[in-house]
Amino acid sequence: MTDPLYQQTLTGIFRHVIPEITLIATACVVLLVGSVVNRRWLWFVVSLLAVTAAMIVTGTIRPKPPELIAASPLIADAAAAFIRWVALITLAVMIFVAWGETDRTNAAEYYGCLLITGAGVSLVGRANDLVTLFLALELLSIPTYILLYLPVREKRNQEAATKYFLLSVMSAAVLLFGFSYLYGLTGSLNLAIIAEAIAQAHANADGPHPMAMLAAVMVLGGIGFRITAVPFHFYAPDVYEGGPPGVIAQLAFLPKVAGFVALARILGLLGPDPKNIPFPPDTQLPLLLWAMAILTMSVGNVLALLQDNLRRMLAYSSVAHGGYMLMGVVVASSLPDATTTPDVGGLDALLVYLVAYGLMTLGVFALIVFLSTAERPVQAIDDLAGLSQTHPISAAMMAIFFFSLIGLPLTAGFAGKLYLFLGALNAPPQTAAMGNLYRVMAIIAAINAAVGAYYYLRVVGVMYLRTALHPLKRSWMVPTFLAALALAGGTLVFGIYPEPLAKAARTAALIPTSVGKSVSGSR
Amino acid sequence: MSEPTSLALAILALPLAAAVLAWLSAALPATKKLAHIPLILACAAAAVLAFLLLEKMLDGHEAHYISTPLTWFAAGHLQVHFTITVDALATIMLGMITFIATFIALFSSGYMHGDRGYARFFAVMSFFVFSMCGLVLANNFLLLVAFWEGVGLCSYLLIGYYFAKPSAAAAARKAFLVTRLGDTGFLLGIFLLWKMGGWHTDLDSLFSHIRDNPPESGLLTTACLLLFCGAVGKSAQFPLYVWLPDAMEGPTPVSALIHAATMVTAGVYLLARCAPLFVLSPEAQVIVAWIGGTTALLAAFLALGQTDLKRILAYSTVSQLGYMFMALGTGGAISPAFAVSAAMFHLFTHAFFKALLFLSAGSVMHAMGNVIDITRFSGLRKVMPITHITFLCGAAALAGVPLLSGFWSKDLILESLTEASESASPYSASYFVLLLVACLTAWLTAFYTFRAYFLTFWGPEKLPEEAGDHAHESPRSMTLPLMVLAVGAVVVGGVLQPFTHWFSDFLGTSPSLTEAQAPAARLVEHHLNGVLLAISTVLALTGIALAFVLYRHGEEKPLGGIDTLFALSRNQLYIDELYSALVVKPAEGLAFLLRVFDGFLDGLTRLIAAIPRFLASLIRPLQNGLVQFYALAMALGLAVFVAFVIFRVAR
Repeated sequence: MTDPLYQQTLTGIFRHVIPEITLIATACVVLLVGSVVNRRWLWFVVSLLAVTAAMIVTGTIRPKPPELIAASPLIADAAAAFIRWVALITLAVMIFVAWGETDRTNAAEYYGCLLITGAGVSLVGRANDLVTLFLALELLSIPTYILLYLPVREKRNQEAATKYFLLSVMSAAVLLFGFSYLYGLTGSLNLAIIAEAIAQAHANADGPHPMAMLAAVMVLGGIGFRITAVPFHFYAPDVYEGGPPGVIAQLAFLPKVAGFVALARILGLLGPDPKNIPFPPDTQLPLLLWAMAILTMSVGNVLALLQDNLRRMLAYSSVAHGGYMLMGVVVASSLPDATTTPDVGGLDALLVYLVAYGLMTLGVFALIVFLSTAERPVQAIDDLAGLSQTHPISAAMMAIFFFSLIGLPLTAGFAGKLYLFLGALNAPPQTAAMGNLYRVMAIIAAINAAVGAYYYLRVVGVMYLRTALHPLKRSWMVPTFLAALALAGGTLVFGIYPEPLAKAARTAALIPTSVGKSVSGSR
Repeated sequence: MSEPTSLALAILALPLAAAVLAWLSAALPATKKLAHIPLILACAAAAVLAFLLLEKMLDGHEAHYISTPLTWFAAGHLQVHFTITVDALATIMLGMITFIATFIALFSSGYMHGDRGYARFFAVMSFFVFSMCGLVLANNFLLLVAFWEGVGLCSYLLIGYYFAKPSAAAAARKAFLVTRLGDTGFLLGIFLLWKMGGWHTDLDSLFSHIRDNPPESGLLTTACLLLFCGAVGKSAQFPLYVWLPDAMEGPTPVSALIHAATMVTAGVYLLARCAPLFVLSPEAQVIVAWIGGTTALLAAFLALGQTDLKRILAYSTVSQLGYMFMALGTGGAISPAFAVSAAMFHLFTHAFFKALLFLSAGSVMHAMGNVIDITRFSGLRKVMPITHITFLCGAAALAGVPLLSGFWSKDLILESLTEASESASPYSASYFVLLLVACLTAWLTAFYTFRAYFLTFWGPEKLPEEAGDHAHESPRSMTLPLMVLAVGAVVVGGVLQPFTHWFSDFLGTSPSLTEAQAPAARLVEHHLNGVLLAISTVLALTGIALAFVLYRHGEEKPLGGIDTLFALSRNQLYIDELYSALVVKPAEGLAFLLRVFDGFLDGLTRLIAAIPRFLASLIRPLQNGLVQFYALAMALGLAVFVAFVIFRVAR
């Protein structure tokens, strides 16, 4: 403990979180002053300035990475940088989207909480010990409870907020329970040390160590809630239906980013050496993840088929997309079995998909915010009837988002699915622990994608082929509209030219080139 | 990035910007009338840049410039780059495309004046120029395909420009589907090459890989012929030429730009670009030459009896393209540089005089109230003096009247065929037959071109009633391009090649030609072959003289014995009907059978589609809205997970 390097590591870490500190400090100011001066445009501008400042800091200040990874509560690798950019850009977009949902009574609280959630997600990306990780996840959760309550107008909103609060707290408890096992087993909070200690424990036990497995399952349960994995998804439809759409946009995306990154960090998939992971396929954990992925995508898609309520349908769709993304995690844990360097490593595909998913999901909800009015909220799919005549630009953007959700070419959703599927097909076709299950997973995912096309296309059909009985009013929420426009643009740009995104994801989630044991990359 | 590639990218960007501007201008009625301005300015600026580029390339510092590859997309072995190449071949094409497009754009502003889809027309035309320039510059096969399909799309949109007219819509569909047939082969060829060529899709690395690791010759011939399929579709060669005459349903400037000067020559350009591959496969070369020869003669025959002025020109385009392919096909027997420069030179001069002929025909059509049947008008010499002179220039160039452009370029092709027939190639006999075919075609060309000319402009003045009282010379915006192109059609051939060899010397610096060295090729010097010159002069003049004797009164007279021949030609040898009976009808029968089968499948599909909904209704009750139940379900789920792990681990 008296090692000077250790001291240096601990004192140096604050330099790595200046953007997050900026966001949270601004949030504190906004929340405090907001009780006296509550003006929507003021807090809108202040929040935007804070995000811009955080972006400038990220772009200009590049501190040295911590000397001792094994002692540092933070890690500053390419993945952390990737997640921070995702968080900051999402935050900027969300500030625009939220314009349509705030008024002079709640703007300060809304924007304050939003800034904290952004800081939380960014921090999840760089957490290197259990405490920091939990803290970061709660930085995301707790403001979300407030956000869900803020525009409470009717009972349905209250019900949604309460349900989310109760179940989220329960999942946090499960997660903490898992963390306590990890600590008890390894005697450390540091993720790097835990990974090594668990590998050692497996070796000592000559097979999977039971306590480690139990801890892993608990962690999976806790995080499963955030990524809406079956059977932890039950809250989604009720909350999506009742909650304010702008908050739901955030809820549909940010917890997924945080959840997947946290899962990848704990399972050692997103680190310096993704080949030496604490739970390789022979521990059966990847098999469990596999089952979870299949179950999640299938249940999500199948239940979405029956929905007449647009938001419930989107809830199930978000469940289904969570399932697709779990494929990336499964593929990433196949790396120890790989004999050649695969073109797609799983986690890079997951990161591409996360961005694509964010673009299209935030986009759909931004448009729902834009088109909803207090008297006429967009709830049922039929509320969109005839949108192509009354709001041609919004309808076109909505169609782009839905095409992307289906995964049609030239949209970001296609690029994301392509990489995920390529990952599954690049994984070893036949292994001792998993058999040919990676291939099977790709096939099941393809069937699911086909099922998904049905309910998404139905919405497009309603918008374009039917006429409105009660047309939606013209909306003047310019910032929200701009956000939707930017998201639609992003969806198309990354669909036509996905290479920069894929490259960034590949840098963030390194595929070790030294994978080859027997064959060294010769084709 | 070196400067020539930046210039080329600027040339590419200009028409794209014009397309966007023209499209945006459709929003307001006031700006809609100005939609032609972006295209004209962009083409003119691009032409200026193209000449600057030409000057740079003439310095001869480097034979070619390749832009830094930018990864477009990558998946496993497949790496597709956005990369362009600038060499003599591309520069010549760029200069020609932008120069001619400028004047056709100017012509269109007068010709399309007051049309409802004015902005749409110019937006698509601009996009076409962009795609065509991209096609010429692309250094990657898949990028080339993207632009190749881009020009195809524009062609479809412009043939079907008058989409309310059923014949136009049908023609557009036919053009698209028929070229699609060829494109299928093209894509297969590309992927075969990709597989043989060390997984390269960039043209330069693919060619050098194949040169260093020559694949099995049968495989290479297959790949070349598959590439040629694409060219056959795009350049309307036998047996896929049927779409081009119908494509004349589009506005006349479109026929001039797309279906005469540029897009249809894309096939010729493709083969010139791929000369390093074709040179390795003499079999493929001789097949190319035979297809070209067949097309040239057949189309020339079909042009004899037509009465639709634009159709005559369309068949003549098909025939002249066949000529170019004949020249390309000699590449194995004589040095490829000679063969390709013969083809490219004819492509170059043909672009001028054929665009001129189409625009003149458009001018006639404009004055005659959209009537284009040459039997319904005659004696337009007095009515349209400028159009008369410009049409005469174009017709004389096409017929091969000595000293005009067409004469020199046609002569170069005849010479390449002569040399090939005298070479040591195993197919020299074939080339000799093709030489005779080419001579016959040249004679027929002179005849039918001047038949059209005399029937239109000579004899007593006769106007159709559709012309009303506006049968007069076209406005200045239309006659000016005609005059410029007429000068081009007359002089461009003589200036560039026969005495200076400027064209072939410059073209020969293209790496794809310097690299394409045929082992058994006969080296040919550029020289003037007096015998050939005399023969082609005689052919052209006798053809014209016969047309003069028969048609100088501006009307068609019965010709006794050979009338049946004309009738056959007029009915296009019943080839459309033959295709209909042989291909379309069986396909329709198959389609009917498939529809029955489809009905069965549909039922099956519905059954399968019902399964997810059924499953959903089974698990739906779980979502009962009670938070206690949700918590319980989560806990139970966790318990199942734990049990799963314990059982699997304890196993």
